[in-house]
Amino acid sequence: MKITTFNRSFFLIYLGLIISISGCKITLVPSYDAQIKEQIESTSKEIDRFYLTMMDKTTNSEGGRSYEQFREGYINIEVELLSLLKKNRVRPLNTHSTRIGEITLELWRKYKQEHKEDNAIPDGLIKLNMLAMSDLFYAMLIAEKGKELAENPPAN
Amino acid sequence: MNFDINEVLFQMVGAIKQNVGENWDEVRNPANVFLQNRKERLALLAELLISKEITQERFDSRMEDEKLIAEAHFHAIAVISKAIAQRAANAAIDIFQKAVKTALNVAN
Repeated sequence: MKITTFNRSFFLIYLGLIISISGCKITLVPSYDAQIKEQIESTSKEIDRFYLTMMDKTTNSEGGRSYEQFREGYINIEVELLSLLKKNRVRPLNTHSTRIGEITLELWRKYKQEHKEDNAIPDGLIKLNMLAMSDLFYAMLIAEKGKELAENPPAN
Repeated sequence: MNFDINEVLFQMVGAIKQNVGENWDEVRNPANVFLQNRKERLALLAELLISKEITQERFDSRMEDEKLIAEAHFHAIAVISKAIAQRAANAAIDIFQKAVKTALNVAN
């Protein structure tokens, strides 16, 4: 009788252990979202096209690079950056990607404002802006890659 | 306050290296790209100042931007490091779960 009670208790402890650890996963980063990654890539491409068009198709002479010529492009890209930031903000455990998004938006707005104030932009500054944005988008992609990495089991 | 971005990144990457083991490449590759990209931007920035395409004020302002860009790099590397830690922890939990399940089967 005593042995049967002991076995039953032991079994229940074991069962409890299994229940408590099954499905138990450590979560440090948000789950991977392929749609966000796609949006990062498409926005990055849009920014490259925006700056390359500015550099290749226009010059500062006769107001060819006046802010007004590019206002719509600036707005369209800012809309995408805001959309990305909102999507990042609502995801739990996502402070790192959110901060990268905030920095990107802050610098995008700063460079837009500079263009607005100068009403012109030299080639060198276009290149510099493009490099800065490209690097920030690379940081966003690396963060997304991290999320993807977290979901894949390590190779043995 | 003296803040050397390169030094901070090197120290950060070095600290991560000690903890990520075989996943070191996952951190090293983006860190190298970040360093290379910054080098390219700083060279261009210096060129623009020397050729007077930008003012000293704008140069200083862009140097401030470099701190923000470096912060973005640190956040990206932090995600990779956390992802590696998460993967390793969950792999360990899986092994533990399997071991307990096997022990249970043996007991039955």
